[in-house]
Amino acid sequence: MEDYKYLFKVVLIGNAGVGKTCLVRRFTQGLFPPGQGATIGVDFMISTVEIDGVKVKLQIWDTAGQERFRSITQSYYRSANALILVYDISCQPSFDCLPQWINEMDMYASTKVITYLVGNKSDRVNQREIPAHIAERFAQQQDMRFLETSAKEADNVKRLFLEIAKELTQQARDNEICSQYSSASDLGATDTSPVGNFSCCKGF
Amino acid sequence: MDKLTFYAMKSPEKLDRIANYLAERLSQDVRRQRVGFVMIAMEALDSLLVSCHAQSLNLFVESFLKMVQKLLECDEPDLQCLATNSFVKFANIEEDTPSYHRRYDFFVSKFSSMCHNCVADPDVRARLRTAGVRGLQGVVRKTVSDDLQVNIWEKTHMDKIVPSLLYNMQVGMSEELESPKDEDHPAVVAETVFRDLVCRASYGNINSVLKPVLLHLDDHKLWVPNDFAVKCFKIIMYSVQAQYGYIVVQMLMNHLDDHSKQLPRVKASIVNVLSETVLIAAGGSVGPSVLEVFNTLLKHLRISVDKDISATQSPDEKNFQEAIINTIGEFAKNLPDYQKIEVMMFIMGKVPPSSESQPVKNSKDVLLQTMLMKTLLKVATKYKTVLLNNAFPSTFLDPLLRMSVVSDPGIRRLIQEIIHTLLDRHDNLLKLTTVRIPEQISTLKLTVEKAQRQDIMFAKKSGPLFYWHLYKNAEMQNNKVDNFETIFCTLALMFVEMNGDEVLIDSFRFALGIQHMAKVGDLPITHKCAIHAIVAAHLNLISQLTAVPALCEHVAVVIARRKESAPFYLPAMAFNRKNTANSYPEKDVVLESCMFNPDTISDALRNSGHDTSSLVSPFMPQNVIGFDQVDLKKSASDIHSLNISFSLDSRSSSIESIRKSVGEEITFESLKKVLEMNPRAKEEEQKERQKILEKFTNGPFEDIVARSEAKSEKFANKLNEILEKIAQPPQAAEPLSKDGLTVPIHNIQFPELFIY
Repeated sequence: MEDYKYLFKVVLIGNAGVGKTCLVRRFTQGLFPPGQGATIGVDFMISTVEIDGVKVKLQIWDTAGQERFRSITQSYYRSANALILVYDISCQPSFDCLPQWINEMDMYASTKVITYLVGNKSDRVNQREIPAHIAERFAQQQDMRFLETSAKEADNVKRLFLEIAKELTQQARDNEICSQYSSASDLGATDTSPVGNFSCCKGF
Repeated sequence: MDKLTFYAMKSPEKLDRIANYLAERLSQDVRRQRVGFVMIAMEALDSLLVSCHAQSLNLFVESFLKMVQKLLECDEPDLQCLATNSFVKFANIEEDTPSYHRRYDFFVSKFSSMCHNCVADPDVRARLRTAGVRGLQGVVRKTVSDDLQVNIWEKTHMDKIVPSLLYNMQVGMSEELESPKDEDHPAVVAETVFRDLVCRASYGNINSVLKPVLLHLDDHKLWVPNDFAVKCFKIIMYSVQAQYGYIVVQMLMNHLDDHSKQLPRVKASIVNVLSETVLIAAGGSVGPSVLEVFNTLLKHLRISVDKDISATQSPDEKNFQEAIINTIGEFAKNLPDYQKIEVMMFIMGKVPPSSESQPVKNSKDVLLQTMLMKTLLKVATKYKTVLLNNAFPSTFLDPLLRMSVVSDPGIRRLIQEIIHTLLDRHDNLLKLTTVRIPEQISTLKLTVEKAQRQDIMFAKKSGPLFYWHLYKNAEMQNNKVDNFETIFCTLALMFVEMNGDEVLIDSFRFALGIQHMAKVGDLPITHKCAIHAIVAAHLNLISQLTAVPALCEHVAVVIARRKESAPFYLPAMAFNRKNTANSYPEKDVVLESCMFNPDTISDALRNSGHDTSSLVSPFMPQNVIGFDQVDLKKSASDIHSLNISFSLDSRSSSIESIRKSVGEEITFESLKKVLEMNPRAKEEEQKERQKILEKFTNGPFEDIVARSEAKSEKFANKLNEILEKIAQPPQAAEPLSKDGLTVPIHNIQFPELFIY
């Protein structure tokens, strides 16, 4: 009765106002809501895509970019299968913050997560501040895939999510016993948590 | 529907298949957006869930949860709410069979995200948020008691749950004014759930609840202003199991540690929250390590003071220090009395040792001392004295009194205040803080009880110590009006609290002693007036309290005389802060008629059956002996000077008579004139002594001997010059001339010598 074969969790992160929510909206609902307010906490969307005849369900967690929600958004990284790190190509600061974000990813996300660097708002040709090749080089250095998208023009958005779905599906197929795989990663997660607890206990 | 339920109950083995079918139907309906059918399917699931026996539910629940998840994944708010409601119903069912493979990760994530929902329509938003909060509560309920379930207290979950709850509470707090308190408001629900959560937390996992709370407060910058933080911790303290209260306190302290580099405003806020928390935690606020708590707070105080010097004293930093001091007070309040004393001694031990040879010059030290003394005062006010010797164990009293003669008037005042609160057992403190001379002492409404035996013992043992230090205090050049007031207060309290015969005589002797000092001492006129006023007020007090008619009369007469011819010797004038230089007499002439006469007092006391033998020996000489003994040990030059003065005294052949009758006017008046005439000579003398002392402490022995011989010759000459005109009783000259120089040495040495 299951209407999908694989379920993947995708988490979007990045500075406030780079267009994470718009990307998700564009992909899941096919619309571009102008004047989208700042996300509070975490938003959730679901989307089912077909990859090579297999139904794949994507749980998309759209996190708030604002600093104040950092602690709750971080808690969503861990279970993610894919992380999309978004910046705004017309906003230098959002690019400058990337190392910080990568740091966070290293700290909180699982090691098996696949990561995408996405330069959004590629429609703003005239206001571009980050040349694509610089971002691409950066992505290579960090071992991330790179794409430039425009949520407004629906440019590359679908491609982005489909690529992710494809790659994750491929991954899942390669490790045929996917469930074992995920349980192994779960094991990894539970393994790390006692260590965390231990370090809290040092307070006593 | 009824039929379905009935059928399911009759044949529970079919339940699983029913659920499966329903689930399939439902997911189809969802896809086709047929909300009506979805509702019906859900209703069916609900009623099955409620009516069926728990044992058979296990597999059914799988399908059920799948359905709930399905609905939660929809965009439709109605369906999400519906799903949540079903889930909550499910959560309320007690299951006795544990479930191995059920997973709630998604629910935690989803409900948390619902808590943050921001749909434009405020009604829908509120509904979704409330649903999210309720859902979270359901998850917690469901998992907390189930040992086989994922540990809900794990960081991954708590990091989602706690901030979600707090966020709603916080939003609710800012909105509260507009919306009436209805029970479905997300903020209200969130608060309830939060209480529930904290209440369920046990020793091991209270931490995992508090960590996200602290983090949330950091992230959302909610420490300043700290209304929400205070509210949060109040909720926590009221909900947490009482025996774990101290962990909360401890966590806050650790948090403070982590933020020691933060802005003082933030820190002050944290400390304020801490103090509120302690207030609620009451007895349980201090965990196993009492002193550790104080140590931490004092450390922060110290850090703050250290920083203060580099930067200018900002009001924020001051607030922070205030806050710490108050918090320490709150902590101390919750301790049993014997621990309060311990804490006071602990604080005393933290006082930076003032370097022995010179008064504290370092302003940082002074500041730190001031802060610590303020802290001490706070703790002391929380202490309820029963027996004086318990309140002042000698290990505490000695350093305290030693501190009482430091050069900073502010600290001296604080110490006197500490002594006040510790002495005062009958709430007389407020009645004695201002120096007054009421005609009838009863108007003060003092509560006086006969002192207990132990107190008298204490008075005998430590009284002289108190008096000596008070004397020194009165003598300080940089005294302020406050200082004199506190001195009076100490004096009066000592008398009220330790009112034995011995004490009475000591008290009189001391009063006469400082009167004498005011007459002959080298003090500014304002100080002299203040001291005379203290003497008057004090004698008025004790004479009336002892109710010896002759004594009262003498005191009354003197006071009346002062009113006429020397109002500046009375408190009304001497302690008037608006005084200008004109208010005081230009010439510093002692009006003997306005002085209290030792002989008259002595007679009066003797006639009323008191043993006045010790009153006859004036106050100072006794101490000067102690004083000299120290000096004899310490410094050869002092021996010289002593010898010289003695030889001079014998030359003038009046040493005996003078010693006995200290109060003789001619001697002291003229002596004072001499002293006034030669201020420069005196200064030089002092400098010389300073030099000598330095040499002594630093140079090799032979060197010292040689030098001291040479110097002392010079010194002798100088002394001769001064003393030629008049015979000088050693008791008066010594303390005055050595004032600044020997006090520290003496302070260190004196108590031990004196006690035994």
